[in-house]
Amino acid sequence: MKTHPLRRGLFVTLVIALILCCFLAPYAWIVSSSFKNRLTLFDDVTPLSWKAFFPVGATTDNYQTLFERTNVLTALLNTAIVSGGQVALTLLLCAMAAYSLTRIRFPGAKIVFVLILLTFLLPIEAMMVPLYQVVSGLGLSNTLLGVMIPWVASPFGLFLLKQAFEELPVELEDAARIDGAGHVRVFFSIVLPNVKVPMLTLGLITFLFSWNSFLWPLVIVQDPANQVIQVAIAQQGSPTQLPNWGETFAGATVATLPLILLFLLLQKYFTQGMTTSGIKG
Amino acid sequence: MSATNTLSTASATSVKSGTGKPATRRQKRDWIFAAGFLAPFMILLLIFQYLPLLVMARNSVYDYSLLNPAAAKFVGLRNFTDMIEYEDAAVSFGVTFLFALGVVLFVIPVAFALALFLNSKLPARGLVRTMIMLPVVTSSVVVATMWSFLLDPSNGLINGVLNIVGIGNQPFLTSTSQALPALIAMTVWQQVGFGAILFLAGLQGLPAELTEAARIDGATRRQVLWNVTIPLLSRTTLFVVVIMTVFSLQAFAPAFLMTQGGPQESTNLIVYHIYNSAFIMQQAGYASALSVVLLLVVLAISMAQMALLRSRWNY
Repeated sequence: MKTHPLRRGLFVTLVIALILCCFLAPYAWIVSSSFKNRLTLFDDVTPLSWKAFFPVGATTDNYQTLFERTNVLTALLNTAIVSGGQVALTLLLCAMAAYSLTRIRFPGAKIVFVLILLTFLLPIEAMMVPLYQVVSGLGLSNTLLGVMIPWVASPFGLFLLKQAFEELPVELEDAARIDGAGHVRVFFSIVLPNVKVPMLTLGLITFLFSWNSFLWPLVIVQDPANQVIQVAIAQQGSPTQLPNWGETFAGATVATLPLILLFLLLQKYFTQGMTTSGIKG
Repeated sequence: MSATNTLSTASATSVKSGTGKPATRRQKRDWIFAAGFLAPFMILLLIFQYLPLLVMARNSVYDYSLLNPAAAKFVGLRNFTDMIEYEDAAVSFGVTFLFALGVVLFVIPVAFALALFLNSKLPARGLVRTMIMLPVVTSSVVVATMWSFLLDPSNGLINGVLNIVGIGNQPFLTSTSQALPALIAMTVWQQVGFGAILFLAGLQGLPAELTEAARIDGATRRQVLWNVTIPLLSRTTLFVVVIMTVFSLQAFAPAFLMTQGGPQESTNLIVYHIYNSAFIMQQAGYASALSVVLLLVVLAISMAQMALLRSRWNY
């Protein structure tokens, strides 16, 4: 059953090369094509040459038209506001709720917890029609607040933080409590500083979810001035309507780059967050 | 944490200590604080999760359009009988189940193999892990856009590669037999990294003594894999299966951006069908009825998972 080490090494190298090709080549193609004009772009694909993956004779024309003639810049700004706001609100609300559930004994805590637990199972994005009616009934359609507010009370976030709060020793706060510190002070100056990693993890997962969300903003925002990036590039990027692939590729690159950079920097926390509870959506 | 426990301990302390009043007052202050700290979360949860649930149940027995919801007409169960009478719902659910099945069948073995690879002491592990996670953090819109060009019948990269090995251009997304498999391939590509890190976490959680003991007892690597590792990971596998299924049942961007449900409804995924019924065809009542069925399917899968995980089925 023993395989020759050299043959095994060759096999492993081949597998690694294949994996890298499968996962890296599409990105290389998209990014390098976004720097090409519409004539050279196809020449490199049929017949396929190595030039398909490197921007030979690079031009930034596609990016210039993208930023000058479309609403991509506004959409990027809107997405940054939505994602930032959603992260801040999710962290605050989930942390407050987790504090109440782990640090204070009060009647009805069990019912509250079951109510939250049940929503974990709801495929809420698949319930876009009633959600659309609820949000527009509140007068929030076509607003950035309407894009983010339904996801802020996140059961996933609550579970993640509740777990972290439970692992925190109560002795930490006891001294402060004896000194007469109230819950608000204990929450902000003792509990929160000690759960930085779970908070960062939840923040990253929320940011990823918010930045990439598509169906909900597509449904709730029609006004181009309040459009988010995913909808903006989806509407300019359909291959059936738009002849210029380069511009579409430029849009895809712009929409993806911030997340990829964030991921490369903080990969450990991303992976941690995704494996702990199994990301929803 | 149970309410009755809290109450009984509360009354017990107040009786025993004799200084009942201050203790109770402090407790009441705590309760008010807890309520205040929970209120924002709970109010939003009720408005954006429970209220839509009620609205959906109500709307599924009405005939109305989102343009003029006031003109709703009560139709009883007709939306549901329509679903049976016309074929669109059956076709759409069928396509969606096939899609989910395809995704799960391919994601599980590939993700597991990748996890085994990442768990070994081979070179370039970190690089491979980063690579397979890239599609996971890329939005479904960008992945769909990328793949509609990769799959382009005349200028796509995939046809470029096929030409090298002597295969002629394939139609992919415009063919009734190739469109759904193409979407499955794309989704497997996008999700397999997520499956792999879930399996990897499972593998790293296994007690090393078990596999070592089997090796000492003379089992080959392959025997250890099939008779020890895989059975021990059955819970992780179930978890990955459920996550991938629930995710696939809710896929939307591929149908919306790449195929518009076609050709001939062969990729008419259910969430896209709901979106079309409600926002394009303006049959929001019918869309609500479809959503109710989808919700029940997803709930059934989640419940089955919980029941299995809670059972004694454990190694």
